[in-house]
Amino acid sequence: MKTKVKLVAVSIALCVIATGVTGCNNPTYGVHTNMPQDYYEIIDDSYIIGSTIEGCTAEKCETELLDNAGYSTEGRIFYSMSVEAQLCVSDNFKEDTAKEKFTQFSKAVYAKLNEIDKALSSTVASSDVSKFNAAAAGAELKISKITYDVLSVAKSVYELTDGYYNPALYYNVQAYGFGGAETYPHTAAELPKDEIIQKYTLLASHFGEVALSETADENGVNYFVTKPDFTVEVDGKTLAMKLDLGGIGKGYAVDVIDAMFDEYGYEYGYFNFGASSMAVKSHFEQGAYNMGFVDPRSPQRDPYFMTKIRNEKLSTSGDNEQRYFIDGVRYCHIIDPTTGKPIRTGIMSATVIGGSAAEDDALTTAIMAMGKERASNFIKEKLTDRKVVFTCE
Amino acid sequence: MSLKKIEQVKKDRGFKIFDLIVYGAVIVAVIVSFVVIFTTKNSDPLTGIRVYSGAQVVFEYAFGEKPTHSDSVTVEENDAGITVKVNDGDGGFNVIYIDKTARTAKIVDANCKGKDCAYFAPIDDNNKIIYCSPHGLRVEPLFRDLDSPNIII
Repeated sequence: MKTKVKLVAVSIALCVIATGVTGCNNPTYGVHTNMPQDYYEIIDDSYIIGSTIEGCTAEKCETELLDNAGYSTEGRIFYSMSVEAQLCVSDNFKEDTAKEKFTQFSKAVYAKLNEIDKALSSTVASSDVSKFNAAAAGAELKISKITYDVLSVAKSVYELTDGYYNPALYYNVQAYGFGGAETYPHTAAELPKDEIIQKYTLLASHFGEVALSETADENGVNYFVTKPDFTVEVDGKTLAMKLDLGGIGKGYAVDVIDAMFDEYGYEYGYFNFGASSMAVKSHFEQGAYNMGFVDPRSPQRDPYFMTKIRNEKLSTSGDNEQRYFIDGVRYCHIIDPTTGKPIRTGIMSATVIGGSAAEDDALTTAIMAMGKERASNFIKEKLTDRKVVFTCE
Repeated sequence: MSLKKIEQVKKDRGFKIFDLIVYGAVIVAVIVSFVVIFTTKNSDPLTGIRVYSGAQVVFEYAFGEKPTHSDSVTVEENDAGITVKVNDGDGGFNVIYIDKTARTAKIVDANCKGKDCAYFAPIDDNNKIIYCSPHGLRVEPLFRDLDSPNIII
């Protein structure tokens, strides 16, 4: 009897030791990336490597000490497309002309952001997107070059991802309280009904039928979009397709501002649009920037992962920025195009580095909707030229 | 039970010397585990503070030196510490207190909704950051090691 008591006591003690040793640094989340191990550093003990995806051909960035004595950094903050944008430039600002040049540059950036917003905003009545959303099914509309370019990227990523990126899930996003909708549902009873979500999803599945065309005349090139000739009936109303190009539009803006850095001859600095898409040039002291990516489960926004970035564009998406909980279930703004509902894939965040930021933004959304297995295969087969990382619960 | 058996049970001690050694080893192992875990945390002492309002540096202070700051910041300094008030230009503010003796920095007041930033633990080493999202304010160590992120997205 006493031997049994001793055995139980020792077992309990060993459990206490095990809890003490492992409890404080318990890895909970998996990091899945196609980057070789010397490209990055995991800087949060809650994360461990979940899998390494083969096939990455993107080059590694390195830091180096640069001799830019006298250089400093100036920044401007803009508000555009309902989010904050940060412009940072490093230059020799002791020179009078440098300050004036930066002032001109920041004004030009702000003007370009407004131009893009006016074309793509779904809340500005005169925008191309608002006109598209208000038009009847099958209608042809004249659009700006900006909207044409963004829709071209959207269509190409839609094809590439087999529809996992779909900007026509507008009604689904709104039904779950995102994308500028007035309120979030607060109870399960306030969530949209399955039969309605199915109709919205069916409507969105026709995004591939959005047709783009261009014609040239004496005034230049004219761009057109034709809306799919398909509708659904919901609560006695006939609904035609609507688009939300907000995410990919921010990526597009980043691509444009990146080109403006080159146009103004700026080598050092970065442009961060809404903490979702960035153009990163060089760091004036160390060449590459040490880029930290926010842990999607950290209220303090601590980084979990770090990699070096130089002269690259990137986008990141997470289920932590726009979300709410009902009965312990997380509802985020990213919609699974196969269910029409907020994703349940277990992917918490995704980042794509390299290529264009507009494509990267659409790709991160698609990866989050794909789930671990499909996303890993997709990255291995189709994103070999980019550095990709995603995290899983 | 016979008297002989009762005497035998009485003589049989609950804890023999071997048992005590096992229990002692277990207790020592538990204590050592916790001590190791809590003392191996990175704890470089704080060497200075940098405050960002949005993308712009608005305040810098290295312990033992004079603080520098932009026009949007008011600074009150005495022997014990420095009180830094950062105005965001839209009526928002955060007040940061830097304790020179304890070498810590903490947001002590703000007029953002919820004041979450004022409840964060003080920065007491070179590895912590306090971020006030509503005001776009970031308080971070001035001298972070070169292997730390210089942009967080």
